[in-house]
Amino acid sequence: MTGGSAKAGEGHGVQADLLAQGQEELSRNLLRMQNFATILLNQEEPKVGPTPREEIYRKNKSRLYRYASTRRHPTPLLFVPNLGISRPYIFDLLPGSSFIEYMTRQGFDFYLLDWGVFGPEDNHLTVEDCVTRILPRMVKKVLESSGARELSVLGYCMGAPLSASFLALYPDVPVKNFVNMAGPIDFSQVGLFGCWLRPKYFDADRFVDTLGQIPADLVKVGFKLLKPTMDLSTALNLWWNLWNDSYVRSFRALNQWANEYVPFPGEFFRQWVKEFYQENRLIRGELSLRGTAVRLDTIRCPVFVVGAKEDNIAPPACVRALIDAVGSQDKEYVELPGGHISLIAGRGASIHCWPKVSTWLAPRS
Amino acid sequence: MAENPGTQALSDLWKKQIEEGTQAWAKLMGQGQAVDPTAFWRPFMDQGMAAWSKLFTQEPVTPDMMAQWKRFLDQWIAAWSKVLEQAMGTEAFAQALGKHLEQWLALQAPMKKAADESTEATLSALGIPSRSQMVGVARQLVDLEDRIEGLEDRLDALRGRMDDLFKALADHETAAARRAAGKARKRGDRTGS
Repeated sequence: MTGGSAKAGEGHGVQADLLAQGQEELSRNLLRMQNFATILLNQEEPKVGPTPREEIYRKNKSRLYRYASTRRHPTPLLFVPNLGISRPYIFDLLPGSSFIEYMTRQGFDFYLLDWGVFGPEDNHLTVEDCVTRILPRMVKKVLESSGARELSVLGYCMGAPLSASFLALYPDVPVKNFVNMAGPIDFSQVGLFGCWLRPKYFDADRFVDTLGQIPADLVKVGFKLLKPTMDLSTALNLWWNLWNDSYVRSFRALNQWANEYVPFPGEFFRQWVKEFYQENRLIRGELSLRGTAVRLDTIRCPVFVVGAKEDNIAPPACVRALIDAVGSQDKEYVELPGGHISLIAGRGASIHCWPKVSTWLAPRS
Repeated sequence: MAENPGTQALSDLWKKQIEEGTQAWAKLMGQGQAVDPTAFWRPFMDQGMAAWSKLFTQEPVTPDMMAQWKRFLDQWIAAWSKVLEQAMGTEAFAQALGKHLEQWLALQAPMKKAADESTEATLSALGIPSRSQMVGVARQLVDLEDRIEGLEDRLDALRGRMDDLFKALADHETAAARRAAGKARKRGDRTGS
């Protein structure tokens, strides 16, 4: 072949590529329009929480669920998520995008504590009540229903400091392992919320005394403010992936969750903000619940701490602090890619986080 | 989609622009100086427009442009997110937010009180239980549930004690029977000899 004909061939190749790309883009745009119309017209809520479960126990608004599993590991696992803010179905969003589904497939006897959506009648509920009244009962029910002598506790987000306080307060409770996922422990390193909630700028007493319950809309504003560009990038990514049915399905479920905020009981919010955020009592060993000091160094079971590199709600440093505070010999910290939510939910989590947690927990269960 | 060198160069230029812009903003905010958006934005926008016109005049509009454009927007959003995060992490922002919330609360308190009172009065006039009454009943139910659970706990503890007691009693009886059997055996041995 001569140089000229080679160039001409190359030119034809480029043109064919461009044509193929153009056709692909066109078909994607058609799919985008089709899916956009579906989103607009189909207001039906996507089905979330696919893993089969049964309600084991209920206390006021809180529920304890046990998930169907092969139960290869004899030690049950109690998952303690955050109270207020958002609903826990993010951990079991869709088939293939569910932390709970993954853990049950790995053979864990998985229990979820759903704190529930509290109403104005629960405004007197405090952090103390959660740690000393609800958690002990849930643990008791897990042991009773599983028939096991010990259990593992996995705290996520606010659920981690609550569980850690529970473990420290009741060293006799047979907790075999403790996992902290993105749970703030040292509130001096807690990022933007820590800065905004400083006592000189934020009067928690005045808030609770005026509002009683902290409304879901206010919680939403706080979290939206934390990442003001989030909605913009979500919209952009949706438009970009609008041709992809599977992306759209995940988006609809995730979007439903992301816009469903949950209020805080007033007294819980008061104690949480003042004693944890403003006074940082937990890590200082100054937290006292029902007249008993909460000392993290009394935690002696194996401890696994997972921080997320881009977490702006519980930055890695404030999560990692648990490692130095506990009295355990067997303890490990890992820092994984992702943010506060993407650490545990989504495709990245299924690659980076879930196998790590399962691998650490399995031989200890 | 494959990238061509022309659009890659533009992408780099755009990225550099964003980084310089964000650094300038962050610096201004960090120094606490008054920000003049028009003065700052003019060269930034001019540069941006130049980059875009260059992109459209020199490069053919290919489907790859869409991917490039998406990348530009992602970088732009990420850069602004960074700037906003820095700005919102300052004492000045926290103070301003605190003041704003204070004002909101000051406005909210009398409004909430008035709304609560009028709703209460209306419902009471209509003979319908008011919100506070419903909350009161719900709270009583919660308290009742707590008490029942307290009783359950006590019953469990009592059952545990009784189980211990029965076990001790059974052990005692077994030991007594063993002793009695031992004595009888001894007596039998003696009479036998």
